[in-house]
Amino acid sequence: MIELKNIEKYYANKGVKSYILRHVTTTIKQGEFVSIMGPSGAGKSTLLNILGMLEEPTYGTYEFMGENVTSLNERKRIELYRNHIGFVFQAYHLIDEMTVYENIEAPLLYKKVGSAERASRIANLLDRFNIVAKKDLFPNQLSGGQQQLVGIARALAAQPSIILADEPTGNLQSAQAEEIMQLFQKLNKEDGITIIQVTHSEKNAEYGNRILHIADGVVKGDVQV
Amino acid sequence: MFKLNFKIALRNLWKNKGFSLINIGGLAIGLASCMLLLLYVSYEFSFDKQYENYKTTYVAHTNMTANGKVHTWAWTPGLLAPELKAKYSAVVNAARSSYPFEQLISYDDKKIKNKGLFADPEFIKILDYKFLSGNAISPLNNINSVILTQSLSHKLFGNQNPLGKIVKLDNEGGLKVEAVIADLPENTSIKFDYLMPWKLNEQRQKWIKEQGWGSNFCLTIVQLQNSSLLDQVNAAVKGIYQRNQKGLLNELFLHPLSKLHLYNEFENGKSAGGKIDKLRVFFMLAICILLIACVNFMNLSTARSEKRAKEVGVRKAIGSSRKALVAQFILESTLLALIGTIIAFILVEISLPYFNSILNINLIIQYNNWRYWLTLLGLVVFTGLLAGSYPAFYLSSFDPVKVLKGFGVKTGSAISVRKVLVVSQFVFAACLIVCTLVIYQQLTYIKNKPLGYSQGNLVQMAALGNLRQTSKLELLKTKILKSGAATSVSLLSMNIDEGGNNTSDINWPGKNPNDKVLFNQRGIGYDFIATTGTEMVAGREFKIEFPGDSNKVLINEAAAKIMALKNPVGTVIDYGEYKCTIIGVMKDFVAESPYQKVAPMIFNRAYHDDGGVILLRLNEAANISASLSKIDAMVKAINPDYPVDRVFVSDSFEEKYNSEKLLGTLSNWFGSFAIFISCLGLLGLALFMAEQRKKEISIRKVLGASTSHILTLLNKDFVKLVAIANLIAFPLAYVIINKWLSAFEYRINISVLPFVMAFAVSFLIAVLTVSIQSIKVAKANAVDALKYE
Repeated sequence: MIELKNIEKYYANKGVKSYILRHVTTTIKQGEFVSIMGPSGAGKSTLLNILGMLEEPTYGTYEFMGENVTSLNERKRIELYRNHIGFVFQAYHLIDEMTVYENIEAPLLYKKVGSAERASRIANLLDRFNIVAKKDLFPNQLSGGQQQLVGIARALAAQPSIILADEPTGNLQSAQAEEIMQLFQKLNKEDGITIIQVTHSEKNAEYGNRILHIADGVVKGDVQV
Repeated sequence: MFKLNFKIALRNLWKNKGFSLINIGGLAIGLASCMLLLLYVSYEFSFDKQYENYKTTYVAHTNMTANGKVHTWAWTPGLLAPELKAKYSAVVNAARSSYPFEQLISYDDKKIKNKGLFADPEFIKILDYKFLSGNAISPLNNINSVILTQSLSHKLFGNQNPLGKIVKLDNEGGLKVEAVIADLPENTSIKFDYLMPWKLNEQRQKWIKEQGWGSNFCLTIVQLQNSSLLDQVNAAVKGIYQRNQKGLLNELFLHPLSKLHLYNEFENGKSAGGKIDKLRVFFMLAICILLIACVNFMNLSTARSEKRAKEVGVRKAIGSSRKALVAQFILESTLLALIGTIIAFILVEISLPYFNSILNINLIIQYNNWRYWLTLLGLVVFTGLLAGSYPAFYLSSFDPVKVLKGFGVKTGSAISVRKVLVVSQFVFAACLIVCTLVIYQQLTYIKNKPLGYSQGNLVQMAALGNLRQTSKLELLKTKILKSGAATSVSLLSMNIDEGGNNTSDINWPGKNPNDKVLFNQRGIGYDFIATTGTEMVAGREFKIEFPGDSNKVLINEAAAKIMALKNPVGTVIDYGEYKCTIIGVMKDFVAESPYQKVAPMIFNRAYHDDGGVILLRLNEAANISASLSKIDAMVKAINPDYPVDRVFVSDSFEEKYNSEKLLGTLSNWFGSFAIFISCLGLLGLALFMAEQRKKEISIRKVLGASTSHILTLLNKDFVKLVAIANLIAFPLAYVIINKWLSAFEYRINISVLPFVMAFAVSFLIAVLTVSIQSIKVAKANAVDALKYE
């Protein structure tokens, strides 16, 4: 499903190139649960952002479901991305002015899903994550774990084929973190959603089935769990 | 999406109440100012456009050359209208009318002094007045008839049917009420309360029929077949005076009725603007105030960018396109504009009575006029788009990765755009301050300039009815003087502050025969000097001790100067067809515009049966109101048929300052608004800067900077901006105000004072505004800002 060939990313500053990523080549298949690990500043998040089409590589090709992302125009890229990618952030990044319900609804509105369909999908998600009672609350009225649940529900609303998670449990206490990781595992196993997460924690990485080790922008190891 | 965005916009407003208040408040004041000015401008533009044929209707104007200057006025000979109608095929209709004059109209014991007009029957065909009752088919054909306006009819007859009733004009002759028309709208140049046939005018004033082409005494309105014929007709009628009377060099031209009000000034016989120029200024002011309100909005919105950046990042990350974000922000600003408009509406409704009272007009919001709503809608959309455009494009351009990671938004460009916006706001504000101050200085200067006579306690009163008889007037004079109500009484042929009545038919020894010099001519009575408080420079005034003064004249200093006589007193001049001896030179006094040099003036002896104006110098030792009521009683006793019509000269003179006073008041008010709105903009920028520099300030504080250090640091940038704005504003203001001043012959020199004041005021306001914000930052706990880094 994802094919990266020779991805490079660098920032040129006064003629000096500072590399973030070098020669990253890898393939991720449908249904995999990949954890990207490595020390701070290794380029994990940049890789995830490139995968999520939020950043462009300086060099190399990125194929997503058979389409060459690097050569797509912005409109098509947004289209591709709206339909297939869901993002989960460390800091949740819910919109403060929106209720839980509205936060989950927002991606569907951008995808122009009809209102009946929208209502049923959201009801389904709220039900599944046990947050029906919280649907009219605002993010700042929820605990961190609950906010992250909403964040995941929002990512799932558009029914993506892949979820990209940037340290999804980084701001959570361990019990809540475990809950979230179990949820990811369940989504991966039961719904067949591809998951790529960036994490620092060995424990979290073990929920997946493959670990990419990155250091100084280079893939140092690719381990099947 | 729309619904959700709308909801979120409202929540955003509610959440940031203070911010919303500043934002909407600024916008509302800007919009209200703009709406008021636009209302006024559209009122002025609507003048004389209520007639169905206004596009093809013209007013004949005469150009006359005298003193080397071309004088233009809308006075024409009585012979003109019939001639135009008979000989020019492009002319559909032509009618003459007298100029409106106040005369007594009475029914039974109700006596009302109101404006009357004599007019040809065609007059009503050209100007379609709305007939409410009576003869609308052939009005003004019966010589003893009158058409009343509704309000006059009501005043005279109450609820009775006025048709067929007989009213008296000036207490003589019976006029049958033929029809009643609706009251004339305010925005019409030709105003009257009752209309009478021109034939009656000819019957009452025998001299009219004897007048030739050289005598201009009536208004001629002309209707052409279509407006494209104007140039052709103007070319044809230009020489009409000369063709009809050899040697008469006056020229005729037609001026559109719709331009009569706004294009009322002429230079060298050509239309040269007039009121329209002032309206353009007001229109520009309206647009500028709206612009700075929009600029303000942009400033405040982008100032909050830090807070909205995350939202933008998230929205982009969950699939929003940039277009959708732009639409969202535009929606928000339009919503704000809409709320601002509603508040502006309320503000306008509240301030309209005051505005009307200073402008002395009657503006109303026309709720049933679709044009008004359309303009309003346009204003909302325009404001929303304009104010929202920059924040929308700026905010939607954020890179989601950066803002979500918490990197500060790159602000270099945003700051500089905002700085330019603030500078332009302050340029405008400083310009307005300078202009307002100079206008006030000029007004004070003119008001304090000696008029050449003493206005205080000087009363003028029209001599009507019985007071035209010498014996009655003498009786009144004696009685008043004896009662001690007045110390001196004299007579003048017209109001002392009134212009007009001039002649160029004066020759003196040594005069260049080709020169035409225009003299104001006045008749004056005995004791003129004592009554008015002016002075004689040489010779003597008319006195009761010198009865044979019929061929003697006085001149003023300006006339003496133009005549360039070594010894004016005793010189014999040609005055019309008479030879007259100059017996005195009077000091110049201002009769017409206080802004212009006094024109040459010639005085002859006034005879009471000419009518005119009685001047009274009240006794300063006595109680003024008691004196006035004494005088009223005495006048009423001698002249019972007329209401007592007296005014203080100072009151009626005050009207001459109206136009400039109005300009001063308006620029003062709207200038203050502009400055206020600019301050809000500055506050926005200060908020933003303080937010941006929180970390820097905290570090400085940790390193030992005191609150005053930090205040100086934060204020320095703004002071620089204000200084730059002033530097740009000063030359601009100088050019503008210099142009305005150049229209006055008597004017102040532009001093540095207004500029210093403008700088001081803008500087002070800026520092105060910024300090409100920066003190908060400077006093905040440094740790709070640092621990999140």
